[in-house]
Amino acid sequence: MKKIVALVLAAMMLVAAFASCGEQGGSGSSSGSNGGGSSSFENAGKGFDANVADADFGSESGAKLKVWGPDAYIDLLTKQCDAFKEKYADKKITIEVVPQSEDTAATMMQTDAKAGADVFGFASDQFSNLINAGILSPINAKYAADIEATNNKASVDISKAMNNSTGKDALYAYPETGNGYFLVYDKSVVSDEDAASFEAILEACKKNDKKFIMDVGNGYYACMFVFTGGLRLEGLDKDNKQKFNDYDEDEVAASMKAFSKLMHDYKGTFMSDAVTAIPSGFTSTSTRPTKVGAGIDGNWDTAGISKALGKNFGAAKLPTINIDGKDTQIYSMYGYKMIGVNANSKYPRTAQILGYYLASEECQKQRAEELGWSPTNNAVVESDVVKNDVAISALIAQSEFSIPQANVGPIWDPFKSLGNKLLADDTDPETFDFAGLLENVIKNING
Amino acid sequence: MRYIDYMQLNPFQKFGYNFTQFFKKLPGNIARFFKFLGRAIVHFFVAIGKGFAGYGKRFVKGDIFVKLSYLIFGVSNMVRGQIIKGLIFLLTEAAYISFMIFFAWNYISKINVTGTAVVGGQEIQVPHSLGYIAKREVYTADGFPQTEFVDDSMLILLYSVLTIVVTIIFFAIYIANTKSAYKVYEAKKNGETIPGFKAEIKAFFDEKFHITLMSLPCLLIGCFTVLPLIFMILIAFTTYDKSHLPPGNLFQWAGFNNFGQLVNFAGGDAKARTFLDLAGWTIIWAIFATFSNYILGMVVALMINKKGIKLKALWRTLFVVVVAVPQFVSLLLMAQILAENGGALNQLIEMITGSHTPIKFLNGTALSARITVIIVNIWVGIPYTILITSGILMNIPADLYESATIDGAGPVKSFTKITLPYMLFVTTPYLITSFIGNINNFNVIYLLTGGGPSNPDYYNAGYTDILVTWLFNLTMGEKQDYKLAAAIGILVFIVCATLSLITFNMTKSAKDEEAFS
Amino acid sequence: MIKSYKLRRGLANTFIYIILALLGLIWISPLAYLIIQSFSADPEAIPQTLLPASFGFDNYTKLFTETSSLNFPRWYLNTFIIACFSCVISTISVLMVAYAFSRLRFKSRKKFINVGMILGMFPGFMTMIAIYYLLKAMQILDLKGIFGIPGFDGPILSLIICYSSGAGLGFQISKGFFDTIPRALDEAATIDGATRNQIFWKIILPMSKPIVVYTVLTSFIGPWTDFILAKIIAGDKVANYTVAIGLQKMIDVDHKNQWFKRFLAGSVLVAVPVTALFLKMQNYYVEGVTAGGVKG
Repeated sequence: MKKIVALVLAAMMLVAAFASCGEQGGSGSSSGSNGGGSSSFENAGKGFDANVADADFGSESGAKLKVWGPDAYIDLLTKQCDAFKEKYADKKITIEVVPQSEDTAATMMQTDAKAGADVFGFASDQFSNLINAGILSPINAKYAADIEATNNKASVDISKAMNNSTGKDALYAYPETGNGYFLVYDKSVVSDEDAASFEAILEACKKNDKKFIMDVGNGYYACMFVFTGGLRLEGLDKDNKQKFNDYDEDEVAASMKAFSKLMHDYKGTFMSDAVTAIPSGFTSTSTRPTKVGAGIDGNWDTAGISKALGKNFGAAKLPTINIDGKDTQIYSMYGYKMIGVNANSKYPRTAQILGYYLASEECQKQRAEELGWSPTNNAVVESDVVKNDVAISALIAQSEFSIPQANVGPIWDPFKSLGNKLLADDTDPETFDFAGLLENVIKNING
Repeated sequence: MRYIDYMQLNPFQKFGYNFTQFFKKLPGNIARFFKFLGRAIVHFFVAIGKGFAGYGKRFVKGDIFVKLSYLIFGVSNMVRGQIIKGLIFLLTEAAYISFMIFFAWNYISKINVTGTAVVGGQEIQVPHSLGYIAKREVYTADGFPQTEFVDDSMLILLYSVLTIVVTIIFFAIYIANTKSAYKVYEAKKNGETIPGFKAEIKAFFDEKFHITLMSLPCLLIGCFTVLPLIFMILIAFTTYDKSHLPPGNLFQWAGFNNFGQLVNFAGGDAKARTFLDLAGWTIIWAIFATFSNYILGMVVALMINKKGIKLKALWRTLFVVVVAVPQFVSLLLMAQILAENGGALNQLIEMITGSHTPIKFLNGTALSARITVIIVNIWVGIPYTILITSGILMNIPADLYESATIDGAGPVKSFTKITLPYMLFVTTPYLITSFIGNINNFNVIYLLTGGGPSNPDYYNAGYTDILVTWLFNLTMGEKQDYKLAAAIGILVFIVCATLSLITFNMTKSAKDEEAFS
Repeated sequence: MIKSYKLRRGLANTFIYIILALLGLIWISPLAYLIIQSFSADPEAIPQTLLPASFGFDNYTKLFTETSSLNFPRWYLNTFIIACFSCVISTISVLMVAYAFSRLRFKSRKKFINVGMILGMFPGFMTMIAIYYLLKAMQILDLKGIFGIPGFDGPILSLIICYSSGAGLGFQISKGFFDTIPRALDEAATIDGATRNQIFWKIILPMSKPIVVYTVLTSFIGPWTDFILAKIIAGDKVANYTVAIGLQKMIDVDHKNQWFKRFLAGSVLVAVPVTALFLKMQNYYVEGVTAGGVKG
């Protein structure tokens, strides 16, 4: 008799379990509208701790997560993941941290998302690819509301994409850091005053027999030649074609011409090389033939440069360039690094919360302090860490004159060939058909 | 020319004669090749027809066990004493059926269905999809998103190809089973002894030895070369690209659209233009790369092997070391040495001439970059030619050279009139292989210039890109145009395969296979 | 007359010596540059001068001691294991196929030869993704410690399979070599009652040293140079990388500034054993390739 009772009880429990499962699924699809981030969350803006409740973990205990981060960040990332494990020690989370650079992370995710990391860092130009492939999981609306309230608008905007099942925009990644380039210079060569104008910088470098280095043969930098003339990227349309603003072709061509002219006028001073050549170019040793006076580089290299230059280290927003007699501010591409949550994750809740933690004020501050990564969190932007850092300040100053790099199509190769063409020896800036080149490049982006 | 006339020519003229004949026969051989191709296809279908006829005949003639074997494998064998063989047949059947039920059906049934795409909250029906729906996104009560991935078009295609290949193999086993069933039935009826399992195994080490030798390599090649190849060929007929990326999206069948884009020369399409230009440069590159290595390599080999030159081993080693260093190391190193800024060669030039403007070897004009890659390819390739030709050069009959010297020929003349024709004749297979190798020479171009200097007019390609590096860029680069890459691959393959089949079957080595028997 | 002839020949030879010396210098100098710079102890990350100002073993020792982010010794070992296994399997499979095509006569032999010849000509990077998913479907990729050997993981086995599976297609040269061995030998053995299996092992194989060496050499070198397929197969399993992926990683944007000289040192370490093996075996290599690959 006892046996029968036990069996019946067990069967009932089983049915109940199934029923609850079904219910969960059912209520899930009905509340699908939750995906579009509404701002009716009372804790929005109060940060990570206020928003994560114990119940958010659901039934996930003993979660095993894999996290990808770039080499430079790997030590700190491991430390932050350990802190996360400690914080939720009762959940018995294990985290495997694997080094993976941001650009290969997206490619590898697309090769096999199931074998990929649960939480991973990637560069914002890969965002649309990952969205297309359906790899990114949308962010829980409660966290999304808090992220929206605590991070700068541009970084939140580019982390949004249309949620196809609801038809509304939703947050698909956590902003991690701003990532861009600016002017770095040796104050003993280029004075702070000179640093405001491209022509003055080149002149100063030439006078001191030093080089000015930027990577013309790289779409990330070369896009400044057209941005400065007023061309803007405006996301992708529904066929995944790159959209542009209503730019004036003549103005863009004039800007391209101005850059090309400087490259040719200052041949021997203006040097196109990978940015890796810049930090070592500032170190002066007797054996080094190439000495650098200034260059366009990003915050990932500034630690090395400031060590090499000491008190002569200068960083500022990009200078102006003289286009048809008018000094025009140079516009740049401003990228972001994001933290994505793999939609294939076996522990979607824990993965979301970990991603949220890594994007939190606490972690952003640590990255700013230890790696010099520019924060997106408003509180950290306002903090002393940033204000005392010349490079991050320069980056933030430049961000006003920049085009956010998100939802971009295959622009890099076409812009790269544009840059190379402006620099080429056989391009005569006086007679070259810049408008024709521009048309070709635009056609190829959407070809 | 009659044989007797041919014999009267001096050796010198003989080679000339053979050489011209080779090219004279070329058009005829091409025509023959296509005729052969047509015949082979006809043969194939005739053979299938015959197979079916035999299949039916055996069924009618056989007894109940033979007939039963048509449904349950191996029955006839087992009844007549070949237990193990019968069991193997039966196990194959069971394995195939469970493979179909538990694995394959889930994929192959979705190979061409009407799929559903969700765009902006709206469901759209898409015909000719691989799979019904890619993913569903739902939210739990507390707002956590949960994504359920349903059909992955790429896996559906891949595993369907796998299923088809397995099915073909299974069908072959099935036919073998019916044949074997009938054979044992006849043997029993005629009172012959039926070979036991051991005897059959023994045959695999003698008269059927080729099956033993070939089956494992064939299995591996089939699995890891042929199967992926069919998969890739099929990709060319789909819409698989950046906007149709699995697992988030389905892709569809597209017919010949992708090929249409590639050959749409009149439409001013950047893809067609790029294809045409790159195909031209690929051919030029292959010709230059092949013959420059070949001729210069032979000249160096002749110099090393010349009578009276000492330290032959040292000279040879100096060159051959380059072969031994892994190519991607030596090429990356070369790219570094030739770099515009801080490259070793530019430093050397600066030291010697004192000029401060570095030469743009790899990123200057299209012409200079192309010449540079050809020259670097000579550096990489000559050692191979030295290795291969040294032995043969020694075998050229000395009297040929003597008679030439008596006729007053200098070293240059005897090279162009004797050595070159002789070597061309003897090493045609090697030349063809290296020509095709150069058409597909990914390493030299990719590691040296990466296709650059870039050309804004091309669709994701540069001036030194050859078709195969373009294909790589389209697959692994930012365009992610898989379908187009697959279509280019097919076209390149057709050219290479036709070329090599024709020429290889023309050479003496294929005809005189049994020369030594 | 005789004297002037001798003189002319002497002059010609001197001329040839000069050219050979010059060419030899051109051919060897990039490699010399590689070796010299790999011993550079200059502070610059990327060599700035033709010859380094100071020398040392720093780059080599760092390669073996600083293994936390790029574990060169581990990858070296992986590649060595893969190369050993795949060269054994490849050699066996090439010789089997070549022998069958050369010596045995069976239905559709010619068709097999033709198909085999063209199969390898398909330029496909897409096929690599297919291979990846096939291996995944076979559950090989995620294996750990196969046969109980620690570190012998799925990707390593997968790469061994990949590198040796296509080997059968390289039968051309071996077949050419076998074709040159007189068939009378086989016939005599058959009369003595030998099976074809015995003929293969006892008569043909002992005569085929050059072609065996040739096959071993080419299939041993393969795994050291492939950086595309290996990367796809290994994925994020850093412990299972091969040296080719590792060396490429050392000069990508993230690492070049710190790792360039170690890349040079690593390249030397990869090149040295392969070169030594090659130089030792080159006579066999030449014999094999000339007998098998070319003939009138």
